[in-house]
Amino acid sequence: MTSLSVADCTVSFGGLKAINDLTLAIPSGTITALIGPNGSGKSTFCNMVSGQIPPNVGTILLDGVSIRGLRPDQIVAAGLARTYQVPRVPKELTIGEVIGVPLRYVRSGRDLPRKMQTAADVARFCGLSLPLDMPCADLSISDLRRLEIARALACKPHVLLLDEAMAGLSLADTEQVIALVREVHAAGITVVVIEHVMRIIAALCGHAAVLNNGRLLAEASPAVVLRDPAVREAYLGKGFAP
Amino acid sequence: MTWVSFAQAVLLSLTVAGLYAAIAAGLTLTVGVTRIINFAHGEFVMLGAFLTYWLFTRFGLSPWIGMLISGLVIGLFSAVVYRSFLARVLKHDEHNQLLATLGLSILLLNIAIILWSPDPRVMQAPQLLPALELSGVTIPGNNLVVAAVGGLLFLFLQFVMRHTRYGTQMRFASDDAELAQHCGINVDRVFELSFVIGGFAAGVSGGLVALLLYVHPAVGLDLVIRAFAIITLGGLGNIPGALIGAAILALAEGLTSTFVPNGGSFGFGIAFLLLLFVLLVRPNGLFGRQVQ
Amino acid sequence: MMGLSGRLLTYIAVAVSFVAVAMSGNGFFIQAALGIAISAILALSWDILSRTGQVSLGQSAFFGIGAYGSGILTPVIGAVFGWIVGILLCAVAAILIGLVTLRLRRLYFTIATLSFGLSMQVLIVMTPRITGGSTGIMPPVIMGASPSAQLMLITGFLIVSAIVSDIFLGDRFRPAFFMIRNNPALAASSGVPVVKTKILAFAVSGMIAGIAGACYAGLYGYVIPEDVFTPNWSVLPLAVSILGGMDTTLGPILGAVVLRVLEEVARHFVGGAGYQVVYGAVIIVFIIILPKGLVGGLTQLFRKRTRKAAPVAPAEAAS
Repeated sequence: MTSLSVADCTVSFGGLKAINDLTLAIPSGTITALIGPNGSGKSTFCNMVSGQIPPNVGTILLDGVSIRGLRPDQIVAAGLARTYQVPRVPKELTIGEVIGVPLRYVRSGRDLPRKMQTAADVARFCGLSLPLDMPCADLSISDLRRLEIARALACKPHVLLLDEAMAGLSLADTEQVIALVREVHAAGITVVVIEHVMRIIAALCGHAAVLNNGRLLAEASPAVVLRDPAVREAYLGKGFAP
Repeated sequence: MTWVSFAQAVLLSLTVAGLYAAIAAGLTLTVGVTRIINFAHGEFVMLGAFLTYWLFTRFGLSPWIGMLISGLVIGLFSAVVYRSFLARVLKHDEHNQLLATLGLSILLLNIAIILWSPDPRVMQAPQLLPALELSGVTIPGNNLVVAAVGGLLFLFLQFVMRHTRYGTQMRFASDDAELAQHCGINVDRVFELSFVIGGFAAGVSGGLVALLLYVHPAVGLDLVIRAFAIITLGGLGNIPGALIGAAILALAEGLTSTFVPNGGSFGFGIAFLLLLFVLLVRPNGLFGRQVQ
Repeated sequence: MMGLSGRLLTYIAVAVSFVAVAMSGNGFFIQAALGIAISAILALSWDILSRTGQVSLGQSAFFGIGAYGSGILTPVIGAVFGWIVGILLCAVAAILIGLVTLRLRRLYFTIATLSFGLSMQVLIVMTPRITGGSTGIMPPVIMGASPSAQLMLITGFLIVSAIVSDIFLGDRFRPAFFMIRNNPALAASSGVPVVKTKILAFAVSGMIAGIAGACYAGLYGYVIPEDVFTPNWSVLPLAVSILGGMDTTLGPILGAVVLRVLEEVARHFVGGAGYQVVYGAVIIVFIIILPKGLVGGLTQLFRKRTRKAAPVAPAEAAS
């Protein structure tokens, strides 16, 4: 069963095709890695499925229902949430207020995982041990990353897209976020992890899809994919493949 | 409506479009590069108009020279304003930036009212060029000057942006200021330069205003609204788009005021309706980039 | 936002102050208070929308539509319906303009409201049969032309506007509004219907500005287009809110009082046209030096004092 699938999608900016006839299915209940060299279309994919940049052609299905052409807030209500690479939250708002927005605005029949009810529950689940009335201006980068995940979780998603959620974190923080992602997955949410760091992918993901030039290059378990000569060539260029 | 009167209205409007284009191009340059939406640009034009007017009325200085001096003075003034005020505004978010330049605009406008009274003045300058007569259509000399100088200014700005080292730096800084800084470009200097150039264009445009229109403190406001409408039509940061936008607006205004009864008193209604219509059909302006 | 008791205290304090002036019998202060109350209502209307990051430069249009709407319709369908329809007209105008411009870059919205505001006067002049054209209209005077009674009625509207402002500063709206202002993509990704929310804010903003206009029109029984459609009414709410403190309810009210004082001082020195230089000066000075306005500054002062009073625990001292 696939929870998120795109078929024959193309996203072009002027002459450039950021997503080029892409067909990809994310299996339900997995932690899937989406990797690829810079400019391969990972971020555009994220923006495309979350509704920020609609595709020129193609279909996007979430749990079998078409979400193409829906507004981002409608897609969130349908069950797809995403985090942003660079968390930018209004400084005047508090942690509780930020998590509270999706809690108040996302109308769906779904519940939060693990019987969580309040913003405090979500914050705690994500390892934010700070008081809820702490303004976002006072947060460290790793706290902001956790807040982003908490905010996305508060959308009660079926599918969660993490867009380089661990970039720039310390080793210790990265380990903690890896553990958090495992918890989120264990709670029944399909997770798509966009990452650069191979160690994280190998540790976390059971499934990997490689993008290159807006197309799907390979799709298998991380170990298999990372040994694929075509994948190596995409990352390192011709002449490096064995 | 005869062919002649139609042609007359069109050609006269196009000369006015030259003025609009010069003002809009200067504005779209500073906005496109620094991302600061400078509402006070209109007041820069107004100050240039007053300066040219004063140089002619008090010293008999030919408006040709007066325009140039206005350009240089306002360019300098622009740099001072950037240094002392606008550079500080860069630290704030877009919302506060807009409000800050609005405040500056209101301040300059009212200082002008206090110093020079709101009464409109006419610069009784002679026609700087002979009128053009073509099969029944007459274009007064000063209109030709406005069209010519406006067009020249516009080309100058295009040239600077596309074919000089400074222009490249400005385009780089506008695309990604942080990256440009890391590449060794002094982004602060580049921003200041864009204000100098934009200010120069504003000053010269002010001279054209003195030649063609009434000189009064609120003339800047009238023009900046049109300039922003033109930028909206042509797309933010798009200098050639400003030319097309200027032509469209000037034609719409000119034709309405000539052929629609009482059309001259429509004022900004035309700009407003045109704007709404274009935005409905093309949300990024006619030629705007997709970037938000 | 302040707790319920804090808000109630604010409403009572404001109401009491204005009512005291109304009952004082001092003609000058009553007229000044009328002006301040109307400015405050208009400033609240501007601030409500500003919280979503949209800067309106066209509040004068709604001010005028409210004035003309209520003024023309009251003799026809009575005061209550006349005012209601006048104010609903403001909402309709806001929704129509908002549908086109609120999904676009913010600059385009600002330009559109500016053009709209400046176009209204022309529209009135060109439709003399419906709107009286440049000769103006004679709206019925409210509260039997008694300034004290008028002030008390308008104070009532001020309190209503303050309540509406506080609703939009509540937990449901404030975080969403600020997210829309700061990062609309984030808001949308958090389930907020961004454009609909902005249209809602704009419609409410337009209606409250319309209330201010209706109040203004009912004061003297005679209104010409220049009285209400002048850009002055578009710039004033900005200056008032920035001075008093944006994103608050007390800010626009306090700002209206202080700005009125500054205006009088400016008028004394400048005597006539150009006194609005004080608006420009206020905006610049406050945005750069005190962006949270007087309310923000006073809150900071208050916090510093209470921190000094409380003993510092060793753990806090470390941070």
